[in-house]
Amino acid sequence: MPDTLPAPALPIGHYGYDQVDRAFLADRVEQFRDQVARRIAGTLSEDEFKPLRLMNGLYLQLHAYMLRIAVPYGVLDSRQLRELAHIARTYDRDYGHFTTRQNLQFNWIRLEDTPDILARLADVDMHAIQTSGNCIRNVTCDQFAGAAQDELVDPRVHAEILRQWSTLHPEFTFLPRKFKIAISGSPNDRVAARFHDIGLVAKPAPDGGTQFDVFVGGGMGRTPIVGVHLRDDLPEEDLLAYLEAMVRVYNEYGRRDNIYKARIKILVQALGTEGYRQKVDAEFAAMNRARYRLPPETVAAIRARFGTPDLHAPDDAAAQLDRARRADPVFDRWVRTNTHPHRAPGYISAVISLKPAGGIPGDATSAQMDLVADLADRHAFGEIRVTHMQNLVLGHVRQDELHVVWQALRGAGLASANIGLIGDIIACPGLDYCALANARSIPIAQKLGARFASPELQETIGPIEIKISGCINACGHHHAGHIGILGVDKKGEEYFQLTLGGSPGSDASVGQILGPALPEDATVDAIARLVDAYLVHRAGGERFLDTYRRLGAALFKDAVYATA
Amino acid sequence: MSDVRNNRREAGGSSVITANRLLDGRIVWQVGEAAWSTLIDDARIIPNTQIEAAIAQATARQQEDGLVGVYGVQIESDDATPTPVTVRERIRAFGPTVHPDFTPAAELEAHA
Ligand code: HEM
Ligand code: SF4
Repeated sequence: MPDTLPAPALPIGHYGYDQVDRAFLADRVEQFRDQVARRIAGTLSEDEFKPLRLMNGLYLQLHAYMLRIAVPYGVLDSRQLRELAHIARTYDRDYGHFTTRQNLQFNWIRLEDTPDILARLADVDMHAIQTSGNCIRNVTCDQFAGAAQDELVDPRVHAEILRQWSTLHPEFTFLPRKFKIAISGSPNDRVAARFHDIGLVAKPAPDGGTQFDVFVGGGMGRTPIVGVHLRDDLPEEDLLAYLEAMVRVYNEYGRRDNIYKARIKILVQALGTEGYRQKVDAEFAAMNRARYRLPPETVAAIRARFGTPDLHAPDDAAAQLDRARRADPVFDRWVRTNTHPHRAPGYISAVISLKPAGGIPGDATSAQMDLVADLADRHAFGEIRVTHMQNLVLGHVRQDELHVVWQALRGAGLASANIGLIGDIIACPGLDYCALANARSIPIAQKLGARFASPELQETIGPIEIKISGCINACGHHHAGHIGILGVDKKGEEYFQLTLGGSPGSDASVGQILGPALPEDATVDAIARLVDAYLVHRAGGERFLDTYRRLGAALFKDAVYATA
Repeated sequence: MSDVRNNRREAGGSSVITANRLLDGRIVWQVGEAAWSTLIDDARIIPNTQIEAAIAQATARQQEDGLVGVYGVQIESDDATPTPVTVRERIRAFGPTVHPDFTPAAELEAHA
């Protein structure tokens, strides 16, 4: 770029790349272009090429190549979202799929086109690095970061620091297995910190700085485990050193002999919390701490590359929102279910549901992406967040503008009032797309969504999280679902196993298997009976999860299997 | 992509051979030596007694033919046109069930 142009404004909510970052990405694209050319010419075999394409987010799935694009800590700017829409329109089938890891997947990508797609992404400071392989994956974050009223520390600056530390970290490119980190700055865990390899919760330190709660060894997959609390006082300046020590211990002792025992959760269980902590402390004591020290100046320098929104709402913004809610009960319901309190007076965070009744959870068309990008520009400082629940968020919306935002969303089929309710289902791609799947996840989600379409009914049922995975890898978080649904294969046919009582939050728990797996055509009815049983037995304003925890599985078992 | 589940074959049955195209990843079915179609209806049906040899042959030519992940898929014995016995392979053959408009047949028409 000629240096006569004015520096572009920094993006709101995420780190603004500099020329070094851009040059690196440009190189990386050309490197992959060369690798693709060699693969097509046959000088690279599939076995040689596969790890290279995976390092660039390109999987071969059931029907075609799938490209997984990183959305670091779930924050996009409008320019990036428009580029994703453009790619969907030009190179895919006019839609994209937002995932539980806050990324975006395209399902119909051609190998030949991938270098061009990566080049387009690089133009808007995006890539597909850290979306595959046994490295530290794209760090996930609270979708209300920097906005939520209950937040103590905005975790995105630290998420960016972790991104820079972990990207292409030479020691951590070939870990025993993939490694996932989530970070939050709120005591209310919205990132499933306890289900990650490492979960961090930022909070103020007694000295006025920042410190972290550290959870380790959580995970889903074949062996679901709630992470253990390693410490509650990790000082900011030791953040990288301590994480370096944690990952080094894993790299050294984690099992490489058995893929099913390779995650850090297995190591932590094997050593015990104390045993693991001792090894980490020993590593930490022995390492060159100065090299990994994170001084306040560095944090400040990274923070300076984040654009910050200039929050100024008119004094009567809240009053205007109240009036609009009173005038329109449908809007009022949506505000009740799909917004989150903002720290700044006159502002609110709006959740855009990607779960229309009967739709595919997490899918958005190019036109919808463009519309959300436009709304973000007009009403939310050009910033969009992707949630691990597969929805989108406009973080900073003026309360007096919320009605206009909602009307625009409604016109695009994006105003389902179901956040946190039974229609807000997580579903992995399942057998409709995924090469590893046993069963289809999406059709179950669609049927449940249609069955419980009524917003009144959903509000009556109240908070409930249904999560569906098409196989034991648990990409759909079924272990953490209040109701979890797992697809299993019985002689080539689809069956579904139900688990109850999982929770991803601060009260994390792993769901327990209810009984024998059900055939596909019996699963939705069984869940409807479960929900009925809950409605009969709930006390007061209890959530489904509370009723289950209070009364246990027996009555739900009866409800499911009595007539099945 | 090949899958261990596809190696379970009944001795008396028949199979077809499938792969993904290298350039675009799309699913194809073997019609004849070096000839492949996106439609399973066109596929050559091979008795399971001969399938391993046929897979080995197709695998040996895969780079030349622009393919990856060649494997065999058992089909129902009583159908006039090939229908895979597993749900997984039916979805590969007929497209994602959640997008009825994305069947390989519909695609061919769209491009015709
Ligand atoms: C379609 C291609 C995909 C493949 C091949 C794939 C593969 C896997 C595998 C093998 C695991 C288990 C890892 C282990 O236990 O060591 C896993 C876990 C996981 N995947 Fe996927 N996945 C895919 C798509 C997705 C999608 C679309 C999402 C988000 C919706 C996702 C999110 C996750 C999550 C959250 C886990 C659990 C992490 C844990 O075990 O702690 N994956 N995936
Ligand atoms: S849970 Fe299984 S079926 Fe679902 S996306 Fe992950 S690997 Fe595929």
